[in-house]
Amino acid sequence: MTDFRLRGFSRLQAAAQDPIGYARSWKARTGRPVIGSFPMNFPSELVHATGALPLIVQESRTPITEGRSLLPEFYCSYTRSVADQAAVGELDVFDAFVLADHCVQLLGAADVIRWAKPETPMHFAQFISSMDDPWSGAQVRDKVDALRVEVEEIVGVTVTPEVLGASIRLFNSNRRLLREFYDRRKSGALRISAGELQVLVKSSMVMDIEEHTSILNDMLDGLDVDSAAPASLVRLHLSGHFCAPPRVELLDLIEECGVLVVNDDLYHGTRYISTDVPETGDPFDALATWYLDRNVSAPCGTRVQRNVDWDSYLVASLEDSRADGVITLMAKFCEPLMLYYPELRRVLDDRGIPVLLIETEHEGLAAESVRTRVETFVERISRKKVAA
Amino acid sequence: MTLELPPTRQSLDLSATKFITPEKPDKSNRLASTKAGGKMVAQYWENIFTAKERGKHVVWYNGTALNPIFQAAGLEWCHGEAFSARLAAMHLEGPAQAAGEEYGYIGELCSYARTHLGCAVMTQKGITEKQSGIVGMVDQDELAAKLPSPDFFVNAYAGCSTGQQWDAMTYRVFGKEFPLFNVSLPMIWGNKKDSGYLRGSEWEKTPLYVEEQLKKLIEFIEYQTKTPFDWDALSENMYYIKKASELRLEAMALCAAAPTPATYWDWVASIAPINFLPANQLLVDYFQGVKDEIEQRIRDNVSAVANERYRVYFDGIMNWNKLGFLTRKFAEYDVAVVAGRYTHDSFWQEPDLIDLDRPLLGMAQHYLICPINHGLKIMEELLLKRCDEYGIDGIAFHSTRTCRAMTNPQHILARTAERDRGIKSFFFEGDVADASFYKDESLESGLVAMLESIDQQRSKARV
Repeated sequence: MTDFRLRGFSRLQAAAQDPIGYARSWKARTGRPVIGSFPMNFPSELVHATGALPLIVQESRTPITEGRSLLPEFYCSYTRSVADQAAVGELDVFDAFVLADHCVQLLGAADVIRWAKPETPMHFAQFISSMDDPWSGAQVRDKVDALRVEVEEIVGVTVTPEVLGASIRLFNSNRRLLREFYDRRKSGALRISAGELQVLVKSSMVMDIEEHTSILNDMLDGLDVDSAAPASLVRLHLSGHFCAPPRVELLDLIEECGVLVVNDDLYHGTRYISTDVPETGDPFDALATWYLDRNVSAPCGTRVQRNVDWDSYLVASLEDSRADGVITLMAKFCEPLMLYYPELRRVLDDRGIPVLLIETEHEGLAAESVRTRVETFVERISRKKVAA
Repeated sequence: MTLELPPTRQSLDLSATKFITPEKPDKSNRLASTKAGGKMVAQYWENIFTAKERGKHVVWYNGTALNPIFQAAGLEWCHGEAFSARLAAMHLEGPAQAAGEEYGYIGELCSYARTHLGCAVMTQKGITEKQSGIVGMVDQDELAAKLPSPDFFVNAYAGCSTGQQWDAMTYRVFGKEFPLFNVSLPMIWGNKKDSGYLRGSEWEKTPLYVEEQLKKLIEFIEYQTKTPFDWDALSENMYYIKKASELRLEAMALCAAAPTPATYWDWVASIAPINFLPANQLLVDYFQGVKDEIEQRIRDNVSAVANERYRVYFDGIMNWNKLGFLTRKFAEYDVAVVAGRYTHDSFWQEPDLIDLDRPLLGMAQHYLICPINHGLKIMEELLLKRCDEYGIDGIAFHSTRTCRAMTNPQHILARTAERDRGIKSFFFEGDVADASFYKDESLESGLVAMLESIDQQRSKARV
């Protein structure tokens, strides 16, 4: 068997663990600007087409200090962390910030950045969150243009359709490779932990996309089929976390409880890599199309779309991966998930699918308490399987 | 080994050693004219509760003040936040919140949303019990269960990403049976150097997009009601809104006088009329009455707070559970809360924008200047303007637990006020419609500390 971990995984892990360090070294190496964006739907291809490094600002593991006096305690960990990073100078490596999403808490953090770094350009082109209105497409297209103008001005480069088209193909290719890891895990052909998969996806939000793709290709090259996972393991789907990655320790802990994670709808997972940008037609239109398509292929609880439901998508996904249950990971104070969760639970309950809610926080992990809850949950599923 | 303790000789009842606050006289002097508004609001809701029996179309809506459109279309309108606020102000929010909790809504979720979603759950229960669209008689004694079921929903939420999702969930609670229309209101973020309050390219362009959506909303309503929209009625409604708003602002401006003849709490009591009551002569008369009383107070040298010594600005959304309590509390410390972001930068606060020949544009502009729909730069501008207008000494920041939209910029606004005007501030905890988040100690200690700082500042200024 060829161990994928021997083929560049450590480089991805280093970038995932220290995105700012990666950005600094990339900038020193290339002399080009780094532009920070925010989850959940920013089209990084647009920044890439200027020659700058698009980097989705990540939650830092550092305890929050200065940020405590800039945003209240009852904000989600991602926004408080971003505010803190801005206040302590961690974000100084960025030459500009661009946003596309309208999350009320994230906007608070963005204002903190503007306040802490007034000299750094920041642009907010709010993508409409109501996806199926007659004007939604035109609105998104308009905002893509606004973003284009802004990044062109920041970097001093005009984005041509040809160059953007090339960037789109690169990102699509990267997403396809990442999906390959997911597909192999789902089929049992690859034993890879949820934490390791998170490293693959998270590093793609941070690294130069060509470098990342090259490492992924190397990792997949010659990868043998693994032996199947023991049937005794309970197959689970991880759900939630729209912005920030759940802690790897938490994912490891879950898997230590006799669980095989077979799929997820996490932002640092399936959601991020779910949708490719169309490669034909006008590439600027394609970015707008991608945004609208994305909520169909992996619906998000932060969007509003009458003909698309996150819960029914989840049920279909569970059938596809043959998952026995769902663990929902809710970042504390995440209002979109708080709003949607009762619907999710109701649909899963109606279908007899066990679901466990775990609330996550920036600092600390109540490991033993979580372990007990997951073990009990797994036991419940195991008994149900035996009874069936 | 057991630890042997001597028998307790002292009584464990320590109440005698506690500091007992003597009954304090109420130093607040609220306007009498706002009582008329209370009656108008009560009548409005009583009317809503019978809408179905009268064969009216009912729209549930959240966010901004679309009611002049609904009124022109002959609808009955239920505003989600307004009903949640009413329940909280009457201390009747419990059943709705319990219903929401039972359904699965967590206590950290916007308390407006979870109260209203709880109402939706209760109303839906009434429908499934086949009570002709109105909650069953068993529940009639609970105000939270009295909302008539909607014929359709309209969402037009500015500045808060939760608003649109909240209605998307209400839509689901009702089994996706009723149509839903979304008006998307983009943030006025202030991207460009020319941006500011009511100026800049972002400001020029965005209302036109919203105006187009409002036209589509009217088409949607026409489709739902099968009735042509009455454009003349809309212009007429906006005439009354404009007139009422002008009177309201004139009356507010009179409160720049020191001591102030009316306080923020009087303006809070006047929110419902300007925010969702029918636009008509009664509305104009109400604000004329408020203005008349304020003018009379100025002539008679009557102040809203006995012995006004401090003038404070209130930032944060209203704590509806504590309206009367907070009125008395601040007055107890000789504090006149003169103005606030919630009252003074909302609710048709720029009547000059209303053009009766093109009412939708002015409406769109107002929806976009909701005080939670700006970036920090504009909010700083507005805060300093209000502080200057009203001679503000200090700011009370209501750290509104479940309203992230209102709390977003507060810490930086506090720094801005101190840096640019030397204005002191303090934070206290609370919430819009969930009394459990209010911390009296937090208010008391913060307020006292701020007032001491103001005293010190004044002493230094005298030296």
